[in-house]
Amino acid sequence: MTMSPFDNQPDPELGRLLREHLTGPAPEAFLRRLKGAVLAEGADQWDVLAGWARPRVLAAAIAAGFLLWLGAWFGDMSRSSDPGVTMASSLPAQAVVSGQPPAVDEIMLALRERDRR
Amino acid sequence: MRGDPEAFGSLIDRHGLAARRAARAILRDEDDADDAVQEGMLAAWRAIERFDPARPFRPWLMRIVVNAALDARRRSKVRAAEPVSETLESGGLGPDRMAEAALLRARIDAGLADLPERQRIALVLFDAEGWGHADIAAALGVPEGTVRSYVFHARRAMRQSLGTLAEGMK
Repeated sequence: MTMSPFDNQPDPELGRLLREHLTGPAPEAFLRRLKGAVLAEGADQWDVLAGWARPRVLAAAIAAGFLLWLGAWFGDMSRSSDPGVTMASSLPAQAVVSGQPPAVDEIMLALRERDRR
Repeated sequence: MRGDPEAFGSLIDRHGLAARRAARAILRDEDDADDAVQEGMLAAWRAIERFDPARPFRPWLMRIVVNAALDARRRSKVRAAEPVSETLESGGLGPDRMAEAALLRARIDAGLADLPERQRIALVLFDAEGWGHADIAAALGVPEGTVRSYVFHARRAMRQSLGTLAEGMK
């Protein structure tokens, strides 16, 4: 063993001793375990993604449906709470749909509603 | 290599044992060292997308493994050095030679245990793994001159620990 601290080259004898000392038992089995862990991790990533996707998409669809229903329900509530507003806001549409001219009181109600705003 | 466990497996074949030796140079407990190597390899696998192929792979991987071992060491605090195994493989040696081998192992163990952590890592990577100073510097995140200093001091300390004992083992 040369092992001069000034040597700029690895000391083969010290290196051999250190390798023998530090390599540890069953190196092949250790490498197999490491590779197995990486393989399992690789498989896990796709499993996790696949497992994540389906329930999340379903949950998002349910949430979107619920929000739409909630929005429609609140819209109905606000319309039904003020018949004047409902009538005023639907007057042009009624006129177009029915093809009949609106009654005078309906026009007055719509004008009053517009002034109130 | 990216996203390909088989390709990464061939890198484990190439660098796994060096990583184990480096981890054992940091963690005196064998199981802790193996766990740290596995943790480091998995971290490297997860981070492989961030690896710059223009740079050398080995220092990048070893830096991750060394950091995993240092983290494990911080978590477990300072552990006492493991006693030398009493089930030494004889390898066909007679009782005198076996005793000598056991003494040598004990001296190596004690010598390594006495070294400061970074000196120990630098010594193992330089003399046992044949790394250049620049690669060790990249793995440890220190200047190259610091690595030369680490190796210098570590060798001097190991020489004192081993004395003339290693000469007789050739």
